[in-house]
Amino acid sequence: MAANYWASTQRRHWLFSRERLADIREKLREQDKVSHSQFPLPDQRLLNIYCNQQLIKLGKRMSTRQQAIATAQVYLKRFYTKNEIRQTNPYLVLTTAFYLACKMEECPQHIRFVVGEARGLWPEFITPDVAKLGECEFALISEMSSQLIVHHPYRTLTELQDELPLSSDEVALAWSVINDHYLTDLPLLHPPHVIAIMAIIISVVFKPAHSSNFGGSAQSTLSGAMRDGSGMNMLAALSDKTGHGPPRIQKLVLWLAESEVDIKAVIECTQELLSLYEVWEQYSEKNCKELIGRMVKTKNLDK
Amino acid sequence: MAASPFASRSPSVAVASPNTLRLRATAAQDSAGGVLASKSVSNTDQELTEQLNDDVRHKYIKDKKLGEGTYAVVFLGHLRDDPSSFVAIKKVKVNAEYKDGLTMDAIREVKYLQELSHPNIIALHDVFSSKDQNLSLVLEFLPRGDLEMLIKDGDIQYGVADVKAWMGMLARGVWFCHENFVLHRDIKPNNLLIASDGEVKLADFGLARSFADPYLNMTHQVITRWYRPPELLYGARQYSGAVDVWSMGMVFAELLLRVPFVAGNTDLDQLSKICEAFGTPTEENWPGVTQLPNYIPTDRTQLVPVQGRDFFLRQFPTAGPVGADLMMSMCALDPRKRHTALQVLRHNWWMIDPQPTRNEDLPRKSGAKKMGEDMGRRGGEIDDGPFKNAARQLDFGAKK
Repeated sequence: MAANYWASTQRRHWLFSRERLADIREKLREQDKVSHSQFPLPDQRLLNIYCNQQLIKLGKRMSTRQQAIATAQVYLKRFYTKNEIRQTNPYLVLTTAFYLACKMEECPQHIRFVVGEARGLWPEFITPDVAKLGECEFALISEMSSQLIVHHPYRTLTELQDELPLSSDEVALAWSVINDHYLTDLPLLHPPHVIAIMAIIISVVFKPAHSSNFGGSAQSTLSGAMRDGSGMNMLAALSDKTGHGPPRIQKLVLWLAESEVDIKAVIECTQELLSLYEVWEQYSEKNCKELIGRMVKTKNLDK
Repeated sequence: MAASPFASRSPSVAVASPNTLRLRATAAQDSAGGVLASKSVSNTDQELTEQLNDDVRHKYIKDKKLGEGTYAVVFLGHLRDDPSSFVAIKKVKVNAEYKDGLTMDAIREVKYLQELSHPNIIALHDVFSSKDQNLSLVLEFLPRGDLEMLIKDGDIQYGVADVKAWMGMLARGVWFCHENFVLHRDIKPNNLLIASDGEVKLADFGLARSFADPYLNMTHQVITRWYRPPELLYGARQYSGAVDVWSMGMVFAELLLRVPFVAGNTDLDQLSKICEAFGTPTEENWPGVTQLPNYIPTDRTQLVPVQGRDFFLRQFPTAGPVGADLMMSMCALDPRKRHTALQVLRHNWWMIDPQPTRNEDLPRKSGAKKMGEDMGRRGGEIDDGPFKNAARQLDFGAKK
């Protein structure tokens, strides 16, 4: 994390309204109607889940920091607001995003090593030619107008942990929720501190049943809790500042009210995340893999 | 900022007022949190991206070559529409043999200059790419050389009021970096370039990085040797803005003495010269120093006591007692006892007479050397002088 968020390029150039984002994607679709009908792809979020899993696989053997994976995910999102995914080889783009993000988050990996690993995972889609990745890095930087610093919600979480205070289980769950928000459009829609608050609320409202680990996702923990419904009622209580929830939650609500954080935005984020967990149930790795593979092969995008 | 996402990249880039700094991204309770005018955020049109890159490139005309270094070639350029508005175009060299991706130097420079906007930091106007996959940075043109040239030029006379003006500008630039969680890590006189109006600007962010998250290691192979603080020479992997403050102290000393104050031939020699000059670090004056990875115990008989105020006053008589006190606070061996950039700015020295010279009255070098040579170098290199410092390597295998 560097520089000042309020003056950052992230806030000035990479924050969209929902309508604007929908507009951009609609335009991309209009420009390439043929590909769209020929190569249907799953829901954006399912695609994100797939990409994220590939990134994690790629990062696994290189002792990468979580934050580099997060930055790579944001790069992918930014890149695909300007380019139609059906015109690209998603495997090359995600490998490049990973490579650049590692440099950006100060855990650089050698380009040959990254290409080698990527080839090991997806031999059909990544050529051994290192220059390809170099070229793609270049395109990625240009498409992002060389605005490369990404502000993440993790640091806000760490800072608020003592102030609120949060238990280590709650921090771990909130951390996983932050990991999960990269699977949605939220990083393009809301500033990082709003996301962090959302993650904290979720973690406090849906008390972690068992401690989760920091690297993982909160999906398994949360989708069960959501089904029993009690957490949802508490979420409803959040918008009502006179809420009668348990004291722990009341305290949080009070703190929020004083914090001047945009509560509406926080609630919107919460809903987005909960709907992610619903969509998640339909996720099939095999399906994503086949659809992307067919698209890349048929269109010769890997050449 | 205007509605176009590229508005901020025009040469007339607005300078952020320092008080906007109080707003931090991490301050969730900040009142500005609610006001995110999403409408003004982006009007980019995807099909325009390439066009935009070309537009940016065509905005400038490349003139003569100013200089060349290991890492970049620097050209003088000007705006197509306005031949009198000069810029420096820094074209990053790409290894033609096999493309290894962009170097960390180039990435860092773009990364930080895109976000930092301050009168004492070189401005990045634009970035564009060319067909041969070269990244070009369009930077503010700073025609009046650098502080090193002024220091070395025996024909130029300057006094403590001038030093105060230069140091003030340096301290503000460094403070701004630190306030934005950026460590510069290569502060030295020839990275301090001078604008046509006399303003000193911190340049070369090829070694800069963000403050690490707690407990994460960083490399200690940064900062040109003569300006490198003892904790880095001892191999500390976790450090703070105090490293830049030490470098500032060394620049301050060099401005007053007109020679580098502690100029070691090797890293070891640098350490022993620091000990001779300022005192030997011990557990008493610097708790924890013996635990640093490359700590070397000193023989008891060789111990130099930590220097007090009178030493600094003797060494730097022109600075006066208050100036000597400031110098001492910047050269504390223990980084925790060293002043922060903010404390430096709050020091009494700035308030007392003589007042800093006004920019227009600052001494200037005639027939200025080119900006290009400074900017083409890789971070950490010293290009001349009897002690040719080898450039430290920031290899990709190095951890964080």
